[in-house]
Amino acid sequence: MKPRSMAIVATALASALAVAACGSSSSKTTTTTSGAATTTTSSAGSSSTGSGTINGAGSTLAAPIYQQWGSTLKGQGLTVNFNPVGSGAGQTQLAAATVDFAGSDPSLKPTDKAKMKGAVLQFPVAAGAITVSYNLSGIKSGLKLDGSVVSQIFQGKIKTWNNSAITSLNPGVSLPNTNITVVHRSDSSGTTQGFTTWLSETDPAWKSSIGSGKDVNWPTGTGGKGNSGVAAVVKQTPGAIGYVEQAYALENGFTYAAIKNSAGSYVLPTIPNTSAAFLGIKTPPDLGISTVNSPNPGAYPIVSQTFLDAYKDPCKDGGASAGTAAAIKKFLTYAFGAGQQTLGAGSNQLPYAPLPSSLADKDNTQLATMVCNGTAIS
Amino acid sequence: MEASATTVTGDRSVLERSPVGRLPDRVLKWGLSGLAALILILIVYFFIRLVGQSGHVFSTYGLNFVFGNDWDVSHNIFHGGALLFGTIVTSIIALIIGVPVAVASAVFINELCPRRMRGPLSILVDLLAAVPSVVYGLWGVFVLAPKLLPAEKWFASTFSFIPWIGGGIPQLYNYFIAGLILAIMILPIVSAISREVIATVPAEHKEAALALGATRWEMIRMAVLPYSRPGITGGAMLGMGRAIGETIAVVLVIGSASKIGSHLFSQGYTLAAVIANEFGEATGIHTSALFAAGLVLFVLTLIVNMIARWFISRGSHGTRGTGATGMTIASGPASET
Repeated sequence: MKPRSMAIVATALASALAVAACGSSSSKTTTTTSGAATTTTSSAGSSSTGSGTINGAGSTLAAPIYQQWGSTLKGQGLTVNFNPVGSGAGQTQLAAATVDFAGSDPSLKPTDKAKMKGAVLQFPVAAGAITVSYNLSGIKSGLKLDGSVVSQIFQGKIKTWNNSAITSLNPGVSLPNTNITVVHRSDSSGTTQGFTTWLSETDPAWKSSIGSGKDVNWPTGTGGKGNSGVAAVVKQTPGAIGYVEQAYALENGFTYAAIKNSAGSYVLPTIPNTSAAFLGIKTPPDLGISTVNSPNPGAYPIVSQTFLDAYKDPCKDGGASAGTAAAIKKFLTYAFGAGQQTLGAGSNQLPYAPLPSSLADKDNTQLATMVCNGTAIS
Repeated sequence: MEASATTVTGDRSVLERSPVGRLPDRVLKWGLSGLAALILILIVYFFIRLVGQSGHVFSTYGLNFVFGNDWDVSHNIFHGGALLFGTIVTSIIALIIGVPVAVASAVFINELCPRRMRGPLSILVDLLAAVPSVVYGLWGVFVLAPKLLPAEKWFASTFSFIPWIGGGIPQLYNYFIAGLILAIMILPIVSAISREVIATVPAEHKEAALALGATRWEMIRMAVLPYSRPGITGGAMLGMGRAIGETIAVVLVIGSASKIGSHLFSQGYTLAAVIANEFGEATGIHTSALFAAGLVLFVLTLIVNMIARWFISRGSHGTRGTGATGMTIASGPASET
């Protein structure tokens, strides 16, 4: 009896190990820890009519948009999973072809394109304002701030709210003697990139000492994780000032500043003012626009565009099946068409600026060039 | 065939097993040795990978990586002194707050509370370990940090004469809050180990103290605590090892400042938090720097754990005859007596 049960135990152990080793090698994709949401890509029950599942990752700024679109499209048979891990991580995952599309706030630089497996198309899809929100009891939205004052606040040079630099811009508003608590992002973020790009463009001192990027060396301030983390700190700290994406500011009922734009007027981050940032900017051939510091006199200056990036040939470069490629095209068609109706200032719309029709047309033209293994997608 | 026939009758005693019968034993021995070796191989593999990936950064910055004071990603300057400082400071705060409470709870459970309540109380303290660390972080962000801010402000202004502890303007997320949450997280470990060690104090020592006229408190102070001091120290160092590596609870409440904070209630940063925050978007030398931070963390935890084990093994000094206490203390109940 005894040696027999020992033999059984030993064989059970050995077979368990063998199964574990085999099982881990059979799943080919999505093994990164922050990888695209749930199911493996490609052939998950898709036909060539554009239904099925596609996975994306990237921008937290645009995450509410894609999640809303995903739930709408689910009713039409298309499942869209979006993992808001940040613009840079989204680009990295697209370069590794573990996702079908990436959401990215900054446009693709030549160095980013070189990392991809093949030609990548970028489509501007919406723009979101980055508000400078503050927590001061009794002060409503609309406190006037300009680039150099914001830069000095975020460098820690202006320490109290009743500093002369702020009061001189706001005669008639009695500002308290509270200390300013600066709040910034602790994690790498496209929102940080948009905000610091604007600061670099409006204040040469910021550009030379701190610069712009997804991660910068903040001279002062508390870091919150994600837009929601920054929002939480601003909400809980009287006298706090932080940069929060518009949707989060509206959701939390924040008061935000009116910022001086390139034409010299103080503009609030409303949706019409955000949409105005699209007009008058240069549109390069690869559609890599930038809406920061728009020359349009009515535009809010701190507007971040957001792109959807996908391979020009998802089948060849991204390892997608024909059905998945059709699904990607269906998603993008929706994004530049009916999806734009969900964005705007209306009460049941998401608070982002939709594309002007000229830009949506350019997107559709570019979308028509998407192919699957060389043949156009239906 | 003939050979085995002669072996059965000739060289082997009737009580001895056949070679085939001994096979399961051998399989078990080699199988389990293989698994144990696998664990060792895994640890060595981690270490080698960390060293390989971070070599670039150490060759570029040298020792400045560990001791310099400027973590600047956008300009590719990676001096992680603030990270090391923050890791050690938050762990020390966790020890200062957590160990006395844990030892007190252990003493209470073993010496002072009614016998019926011992089991439930032990379970409740150990239940603290069951709470996921991200839940601790969330609780810290939404409840603890804002509620403690007025008290921190009072403390900083009252004790402003103490350098680094008082005198600054308390921020919402700071070293102290992170240390406090870590203290709560290490409570179950330190308390469990202390309970085991205190339970092994021989009854003769306690009875002798009581017979000489000591009060309860004097008995604990003279007979119980000195005897269990090495074991408790070992438990505290194990708790410190946990606190050093704790990531998600700390990253939510540490404030992420890239330089060393100027006072206890200012923002800081830790090695684990920087990896959690920046790994997703890191490229090139930034990734290498994060691996290097991971390596420093790994080495630090290894050193702390080795010291802890040494202390715990020394903890059986009074019971030289039963020297096995040392290693079994950390493993579970009912070790001795």
